[in-house]
Amino acid sequence: MNLISIKTAALLAIVCALPWVQDSEAKPGDVSLFKSPVRLEAGDNFLGQKRLYPSPVLHDMDGDGLPDIVVGDLWGKVTVATGLAGSDGKVSFAQEKAAQNRDGKPLKFNNW
Amino acid sequence: MGSQFVDFNGDGHVDYLSATFDGSPHISYGSEKGWSVPEHLRDAQGERILITSFWNYEDGQHQETTRAMSGDDITGERCISALAFDWDADGDYDLLLGSYENGHLYRQMNEGSNAAPEFTGKNIPVMTGKVPFALIARLTTPRLVDWDSDGDMDLIVGSIGDSYGTGKGGGVYLSRNLGKPGAPSFGAFETLIVPSSKGQSAPTRPDAGLYADAVDFDGDGDLDLIVGGYSLWTPKARNISADEQEKVKALQAERQAVSRDRQKVSSKLSQAIMEATKGMDRKSPEAIEKVKPIRAKYMPDITPLTRQIAELDKQISEYIPSKQKASFVWLYERK
Repeated sequence: MNLISIKTAALLAIVCALPWVQDSEAKPGDVSLFKSPVRLEAGDNFLGQKRLYPSPVLHDMDGDGLPDIVVGDLWGKVTVATGLAGSDGKVSFAQEKAAQNRDGKPLKFNNW
Repeated sequence: MGSQFVDFNGDGHVDYLSATFDGSPHISYGSEKGWSVPEHLRDAQGERILITSFWNYEDGQHQETTRAMSGDDITGERCISALAFDWDADGDYDLLLGSYENGHLYRQMNEGSNAAPEFTGKNIPVMTGKVPFALIARLTTPRLVDWDSDGDMDLIVGSIGDSYGTGKGGGVYLSRNLGKPGAPSFGAFETLIVPSSKGQSAPTRPDAGLYADAVDFDGDGDLDLIVGGYSLWTPKARNISADEQEKVKALQAERQAVSRDRQKVSSKLSQAIMEATKGMDRKSPEAIEKVKPIRAKYMPDITPLTRQIAELDKQISEYIPSKQKASFVWLYERK
């Protein structure tokens, strides 16, 4: 069963231009598997600031073929940093905005 | 709040699945018109899907139930993450439910279809080898991704760690799927991001509450991680003059005095609550109502003292840096 939507497939085609290749030099558990982490930016701010346990996920929310970063938090609030195509081919992210439901109100998952 | 974008009901539109601290998974259905208002996922009996701990919206309190477990011996487990995953490869999504407290993972099977799900209402522990899946430092959320490119879904999981003090922070781990379609089998945890030992003088990584997503962020063919979480650091102190040292001593002495005053009033509040609710279940609606006027009596004295302490802390931190804590989202790019 194809569990991937057309939009997600388009997103994957853009951000995964090459077939996934297993890194044979660094193994999980090796602390040098990754480069030093860097804070992601969205507009003029750091992404995920002033959030209660920010939980990011990459998803093309607006269907333009570019990845967006969706950030949820413990309150159930959801924001989206829209992906922007740069002239150098790299993607940057716009300032976070509250995600909206189909009624135009903030998309919020109920909490306690 | 672990999130997953997935066509949950099989109608051709991506939906948004997440669980919150109320202890249950929620779904917001996608359509051409946008996202629906999120609602609880329910089992075949119409009950909220959960593990054991949940927020009861009608009673306004946290409660426990063992109705979703096979026995009465497991309690105190709150579902704060959920994933749709076709565990038995029968063409419909089952659920993986992550427990915050003990870092356990459960599956709840769907005996219906994606369009008309019938979740059993009973949770089955997911194992890693012969032992129950357990992330002792408390589970933030699992993610499904084919990390090793062998055609099946592995699990990436993050941990909370110590979010407040100097204890070890959170990390990110991989549990490979060593099974076969319809019979997944998850292996022991392999460390992807070592838990933070903290102690830095600037934000250098997420130290606690690590929520990870595995994606090829830079399009170079391998999986990177984007990780949300708290950074905890203490800026380096500058040399302060003798006069400034005296000023700090005076501010600290004033803070001590205000703290003592606040403690006196807080003790009276606690004592009054204990006397008024003696013999009662303090989480009951009756006890909660009884406490309200007591708090209303004492809080007007406590609140200004709390503000005064915060202001004194701010002044002291100009000379002696205080611990900092802030949330960010980080990119861990694969080498």
